[in-house]
Amino acid sequence: MKKENLRMQQPEMDRRQFHSRLGWLGVAASGAIAAAGNLLYLKPAVDYGPPTRIRVGRPEEYKEGLKEIYENERIVVVCEKDGFAAISVKCTHLGCTVRTSDSGFECPCHGSQFDNDGFVTGGPAPAPLNWYQISLTPNGELEVDKSVVVPSGTYFKV
Amino acid sequence: MAPDKSTEKKSAGMEFFENVYRSIFRYGRIPQDGEGASYAVFNNLFLHIHPVKVSRHSLKFTYTFGLGVIATSLFLILTFTGVWLMFYYYPSATEAYGRMLDLRSSVDFGFVLRNVHKWAAEAMVFFVVLHMARVFLTGAYKPPREFNWVIGVILLLLTLGLSFTGYLLPWDQLAFWAITVGTSIAGYAPVIGEPLRQFLLGSDSVGQEALIRFYVLHVVILPGLLYVFLAVHFWRIRKDGGLSHPSENEPQDVAEKGAEL
Amino acid sequence: MKEVDTTQVYPQDPNKTYGLMELVRGTKPTVGPAPEDMVYSWPHLLIRELVIFLTVAACLLVAAFLFNAPLEELANPNHPPNPAKAPWYFLGLQELVSYSAFVGGVVVPGLLVVALILVPYIDRKKVGVGIWFARERWLANGTFLAFLILMCILIIVGMYFRGPNWGFVVPWE
Repeated sequence: MKKENLRMQQPEMDRRQFHSRLGWLGVAASGAIAAAGNLLYLKPAVDYGPPTRIRVGRPEEYKEGLKEIYENERIVVVCEKDGFAAISVKCTHLGCTVRTSDSGFECPCHGSQFDNDGFVTGGPAPAPLNWYQISLTPNGELEVDKSVVVPSGTYFKV
Repeated sequence: MAPDKSTEKKSAGMEFFENVYRSIFRYGRIPQDGEGASYAVFNNLFLHIHPVKVSRHSLKFTYTFGLGVIATSLFLILTFTGVWLMFYYYPSATEAYGRMLDLRSSVDFGFVLRNVHKWAAEAMVFFVVLHMARVFLTGAYKPPREFNWVIGVILLLLTLGLSFTGYLLPWDQLAFWAITVGTSIAGYAPVIGEPLRQFLLGSDSVGQEALIRFYVLHVVILPGLLYVFLAVHFWRIRKDGGLSHPSENEPQDVAEKGAEL
Repeated sequence: MKEVDTTQVYPQDPNKTYGLMELVRGTKPTVGPAPEDMVYSWPHLLIRELVIFLTVAACLLVAAFLFNAPLEELANPNHPPNPAKAPWYFLGLQELVSYSAFVGGVVVPGLLVVALILVPYIDRKKVGVGIWFARERWLANGTFLAFLILMCILIIVGMYFRGPNWGFVVPWE
């Protein structure tokens, strides 16, 4: 009985220990917050790259079955009877630029192959080529927005 | 009195230089005896990473093949040539390649510095791996050297990181596509992959942002880290009792005797 | 009372004085062979280091005058070279990546690094230390060498046997 009473009087942590742990907790927390702040600082916030919206000319300029490659923007604009499509030429494997081939696209880096709609037909690529959203600007030009990926096969009808 | 006279004979100028020399190197010229040899090492900031005495076994060339010293020498040469190259290099997507051409054709000895830096970098990766193979094949990572092996692995990763970040800086086709492929591989890592790729490139694809980030990593952050870990690596060699030695092996009969007791 | 073994581990040098420096707890003698097996760092170690450093520097200078560091045309995001190759020490990885980017590029190298870090905490038995290719360590040494040789083969394949579209080519044809 006596022993138990003693234990009740003596808490598991004394005052000094409690404050010491509280102090270390504060040090650890401020360290973690500082680390998080530094990481956030390094996360690219401003995109200094080229603009994501690209004007690709008037619909009348395209003929059916034409593939117009925009090299610097890394897209190809396809005109089919269903409408227009903007397909990325950035390989989904490791980011090389694919080139057009007889059966669609092929990547020179690791030999991935894609069909005309950008679906993988061979090689290590894990996903089909991206399709981007197309819209018509008020003055009648086609505009591709590379920040919006649409499902493969989504054609834009004028 | 005789020795005093001989010192008086010295000219004031000689005495001045001798005083200056003695103020820097307190313990004479090239040490001839054991005491001098000891002072030579532990009174020198740069030499005192060595113990005063080392075992003959660790000096045998066929034991280490000098691989660690070779890797360290390469890193020192890389630091020197790298700093020298920084005088001309400009981390800009429009300027960098031109600076490479200038280094090669216009700057006096520019091609030597660039070539030495390049070949030393390739050699460093090679010799660090060989050094690691030596340590493994001689069982030198066993207690008490476990943690120094871990530091060695970190040093290998830092070496690869330095080589990889330096690869982009010339901004030629080789650089651009090797980094495009390399950072895309990093992007496949689960959870941290995409943030890591963004952190390295500063953008969606390799461009000016990637160049400046790789430059900072290559000339400041990674070499700084490598020097810190290298210092710990050397310090631990001494703290762990010098290079590994066959005498550390548990003698079979003694171990058995211990079991009997 | 137990008999204490008082045989000298190594002979005393008559030119030296000996004193008790430290008492340690232990069940076996920790004294190595004679301390006379040691030599002074200066000049024995330092001269060797200097010679190695100078040899390295000389070799690099010769290499720098004989072989130019590669420099291709200006980077052009629109025209990837065919094939695009990583630095040589990553070619083994790139070879693996050409089969599967996730397994080859993340899982395999990740596991290799973790395994390398864990090695000294798994294999702790003090046998074969300080001896090249110690017979007792055949399993550890064999595994390590197998991985090293495998990486070398992958790198050589990536360097010489990979052509356009990462297809298999034979270098001498």
